[in-house]
Amino acid sequence: MAPPAEVLAVRGLSKTFPGVRALDDLDLTLHAGEVHALIGENGAGKSTLIKLLTGVYRPDAGEIALHGRPVSFATPLEAQKAGISTIYQEVNLIPLLSVARNLFLGREPRNRLGMLDVARMSREAERTLSTYGVHVDVRQPLRTLGVGAQQMVALARAVATDARIVIMDEPTSSLEPREVETLFSVIRRLRDAGIAVVYVSHRLDELYAVCGTVTVLRDGRRVHHGGLADLDRLSLVSTMLGRDLGEVRKEGLTRFTGDHGPAEAEPVLEATQLAVPHKLHGVSLSIRPGEVVGLGGLLGSGRTETAKAIAGALPLRSGSVTVAGVPLRGGSTPAAIRAGISLLPEDRKSEGIVPGLSVRDNIALAVLPRLSRFGLVAEARVDGIVNTFVERLRIKASSPHQKVGELSGGNQQKVLLARWLAMNPRVLLLDEPTRGIDIGAKAEVQKLVDELAADGLGVLLISSDLEELIEGSDRVVVLKDGRVVGELTGDDVTEEKLMRTIAGNDPVRDAVEEVAADG
Amino acid sequence: MADVTLRTAPLDKARVLQWLQTYGVYAGVAVLLIVNVVVTPYFLSAENFRTQAVQVAPVIIVALGMALVIGTEGVDLSVGAVMALSASVTALYLGYGLLPALLVVALFAAVVGLANGALVALVGVQPIVATLALMVGGRGLALVLLPQLEDLRNPSLASLGSGDVLGVPYLILFAAVLALLVAFVVRRTTFGRQLLAVGDSRPAAQLAGLPVRRVLIVVYVVSALLAATAGVLATARLQASDPTSLGNLMELSAITAVVVGGTPLTGGRVNIAGTVAGAVLIQLLTATLIKHDLPPSWTQIAQAVVIVAAVYAARGRGKR
Amino acid sequence: MQRSTHRRRLLARPTVVSLAAAVALTATSCAKSEDDASSATTSSGAAADAEQKVASPEPGGKTCTIDAYGAEKLDLKNATVGFSQSEKEANQFRIAETQSIRDEARRRGVKLLTANAQSQFSKQISDVQDLLAKGADLLVIAPLNSDGWDPVLKAAAAKKVPIVTIDRKINATACKDYVSFIGSDFVEQGRRAADQMIEATGGKGEVAILLGAAGNNVTTERTKGFKDRIAEKAPDLKVVFEQTGDFAREKGQQVTEQLIQSKPGIKGIYAENDEMGLGAVAALKGAGKKPGDVEIVTVDGTRNAVQGIVDGWISGVIESNPRFGPLAFQTLETFTQGEEVAQDIVIEDGAYDEANAQSDIGKAY
Repeated sequence: MAPPAEVLAVRGLSKTFPGVRALDDLDLTLHAGEVHALIGENGAGKSTLIKLLTGVYRPDAGEIALHGRPVSFATPLEAQKAGISTIYQEVNLIPLLSVARNLFLGREPRNRLGMLDVARMSREAERTLSTYGVHVDVRQPLRTLGVGAQQMVALARAVATDARIVIMDEPTSSLEPREVETLFSVIRRLRDAGIAVVYVSHRLDELYAVCGTVTVLRDGRRVHHGGLADLDRLSLVSTMLGRDLGEVRKEGLTRFTGDHGPAEAEPVLEATQLAVPHKLHGVSLSIRPGEVVGLGGLLGSGRTETAKAIAGALPLRSGSVTVAGVPLRGGSTPAAIRAGISLLPEDRKSEGIVPGLSVRDNIALAVLPRLSRFGLVAEARVDGIVNTFVERLRIKASSPHQKVGELSGGNQQKVLLARWLAMNPRVLLLDEPTRGIDIGAKAEVQKLVDELAADGLGVLLISSDLEELIEGSDRVVVLKDGRVVGELTGDDVTEEKLMRTIAGNDPVRDAVEEVAADG
Repeated sequence: MADVTLRTAPLDKARVLQWLQTYGVYAGVAVLLIVNVVVTPYFLSAENFRTQAVQVAPVIIVALGMALVIGTEGVDLSVGAVMALSASVTALYLGYGLLPALLVVALFAAVVGLANGALVALVGVQPIVATLALMVGGRGLALVLLPQLEDLRNPSLASLGSGDVLGVPYLILFAAVLALLVAFVVRRTTFGRQLLAVGDSRPAAQLAGLPVRRVLIVVYVVSALLAATAGVLATARLQASDPTSLGNLMELSAITAVVVGGTPLTGGRVNIAGTVAGAVLIQLLTATLIKHDLPPSWTQIAQAVVIVAAVYAARGRGKR
Repeated sequence: MQRSTHRRRLLARPTVVSLAAAVALTATSCAKSEDDASSATTSSGAAADAEQKVASPEPGGKTCTIDAYGAEKLDLKNATVGFSQSEKEANQFRIAETQSIRDEARRRGVKLLTANAQSQFSKQISDVQDLLAKGADLLVIAPLNSDGWDPVLKAAAAKKVPIVTIDRKINATACKDYVSFIGSDFVEQGRRAADQMIEATGGKGEVAILLGAAGNNVTTERTKGFKDRIAEKAPDLKVVFEQTGDFAREKGQQVTEQLIQSKPGIKGIYAENDEMGLGAVAALKGAGKKPGDVEIVTVDGTRNAVQGIVDGWISGVIESNPRFGPLAFQTLETFTQGEEVAQDIVIEDGAYDEANAQSDIGKAY
């Protein structure tokens, strides 16, 4: 048997955005019948690569060759015509058209009069979809189908348009387990039919189940490529996170002092079996006053969702949150805030600050009702609080009336912290508090977290920065695919143990999982 | 406001646009006043200013509500229909006396506002779609209730439309008091701050625990109540209820006043003084062209030019 | 996310509509308007006096017979007549027009089918097709537009159904595509308004015109007739101001307010419909003017305007008679009996001034 033909060859691909080198001199080769895992953390360059391959962006340098011929796509449509199809997390078909119409959009069968041959279209649609395990009335509008079935329609459509390469960007993020199985069998069929598949996911189990080869991206570069079977999970995770296993834990890289410790007190926050459809499947954790609990895991493991679920910003399917023993009404942000929970969201710019309002109004935003009488703002009291926090957190702004949108990232983050500290919270949920802020501000924020914990606040710290997570936390709870897969305490809080737990499927993890499963 | 940016020094062009967006509308009003004083006969008379003020008063009142709605990144297309509805309902219930009729008008307006607000805040319909539904439905309802123009002779209503205090017509007083009230609410109350936060960044407002839904609903109810006030005042002035034509295209006049006045359609900022000036600018522009007997199409072209200029200035400013 | 809002949006419409309907029902049940005690709408009794009279055909005008048209004779008494109204009955003219057709049908005992296009031309086309499908033997149409009638005319021709159009003409061949047109001469209305204006002002001074809605043939024709006659008969009368009032009272009021500010010496205002004229009256009252300070001449002949003459605010009203019923049915009867009818039947519109306003107010609609 001849070696499989090379379908796609990418050489030296680079793309720079203002201030960011999103992709740097990247090589990638795909062969017919290959299922290729593409992985990397946030900002590693995965989406940039996909967008370059599908004609959304044009590369700054490098070339893309399809079947040995250099190509250049000006639009996504051109890429599609050349045989590159993409399945996104969100289905991008037309919800109001029938299933059959969606499947045949743009290449509808016609009868001799040039009219739409609806009968034939329905017949063929039914036959095609049944091979994907989808048995539905194809004359119904697409939106009547479940998300999984819609995804199958999208997939069937991609394959039917003579795709030679199918790119799947987190295709399972909204699928049920049974649907995932069907998807895998379809992927295997595509593979056997000689189609190359690029599979993007953070779920390691899925990668090992379906992919043969892997490319790991980090900071816009390819840091590893080869057969997936040659790489155990731990190595995969460490490659992705950029940590050598042998590397000794460096001390003092962060400003955490660890001066606080878990007091032997009752937990101030207890989350029990939190479940959010497709995101969390029974996450439990507790925080005691004065304790910093780290939340570890890969991208998409459910860290942000856990924080949001505790803060009432995501509707819970089941589970409960209690603050100092008092149960909280689920799914209500105001209720959570009243109980003393404060969330510093991951997406500072779009979910945290109100960019057009002043520093002053941003700081006072949440606490405003407490500073008002009969709906009128007590300006003097607001000024008092604002000045206190501007000073304490050393917020650098030209005046309290400067717009927050004009501040640097670090100062924006401090404004958000001030907003919550003004509420005298009991629990602080910090989701990536130091991402995208300069080193000086980062150190200040880290120091502040220490101080707050020392003052008796319970802190939940989410960070992709392993050092920050390890040095800042008294304890680290590790999530994977929306479940708690381990908890590290005391001397076990090390990079190696953390990565092993994240990677899972090795003796350490198995043991941990048994414990977790029993709990 | 102090123009200090930490990152880059603003370009001269950007500074000009910024100035235009903040003060352009006042400059426009000043220019039109000067031009008219020079070229329009009988312009400098108390009577003339009174006429312009009386004519613009309903537009200002509607535009106040529109400014609040636009501040939440919404839009209220149903204001014209609410005016028509309030005209119908006034005529229908005037038999009980003016005050009871006004209460019923307020009730109807509140229901329309609640429907708008509920569709936007609870169901999640886009404001333009939700209020379009009420715009069509509201005017339809107005015509069902009162299919044709009806003359009204109630003396209290008549004095509401043409009476005055020390020579200042009630209409102008109403507009002035409401403008001050709305400006106060925006600047000094919790509700005002929350409204701006909701308009600037809804997700952030939500995560900060603000009562986002309540704010949205209240804003649409206020907008409808203000539109109803304008409808009653216009009806009182005309001494006739004319649901077929009252408030026609009022939504566009109000949006124009708000945008020309420097309130961005993207929400998060409400400029009440500018909105009043914007309404006055359009009124003076129309008056100038009518007084000089220029073709009506000129008025439309002139309005279009003003809107384009305002949107251009706003756009230049948005590029931070 | 997007899908779910989509679904919700679909829900929103019917909810609003049914809500509005429910409100409409409950709102009217306990309403009490000012006139509830003395409410008396114009009924057919008063209208009988105001029946339309034919101004033309002058002898020699083109005529049409049933043989030339290619239809068959029938007895109007046993026939079904279909009537298609163009605009919703929200103004006095349309209300009176539809009422007149209904009254005449009832008087003659003819079965009448009616439809209203709500100012949508596509709806009027399907309305007429519906009327044909429901078995109308004869059609009376008040057209919304002049063009675009081919599909309907073909359908009617296939069924040999005679058509009479009222108040507006359609662009087609008389006595082939339709039988006759019955309507007013808008240019003539403008001329007669000019006559009244000349009389009221003594033929000297400056006058203003409150134009109707732009791009409407009624507006252009009423303007043309007025200006032509002024130029011809009273060169000393100058039209110094022409602004649109969109046929609406409020707009008429606003424009007039601007007018009397900037041209205090204005002697007369010609309003191209009664509503704008009444708006002008409101403006004059608001500015503290006395009846007769500014002469107002309007066109239409609604009751309110004629009352304005009685009160002294309006100098003259040229009638545009909407009561097409008797003449339309008369034309159909003559035609279906095999006699000839004129292709263009221009009606004679009345006029109101100080002399007859008091006595003839009952004729106003």
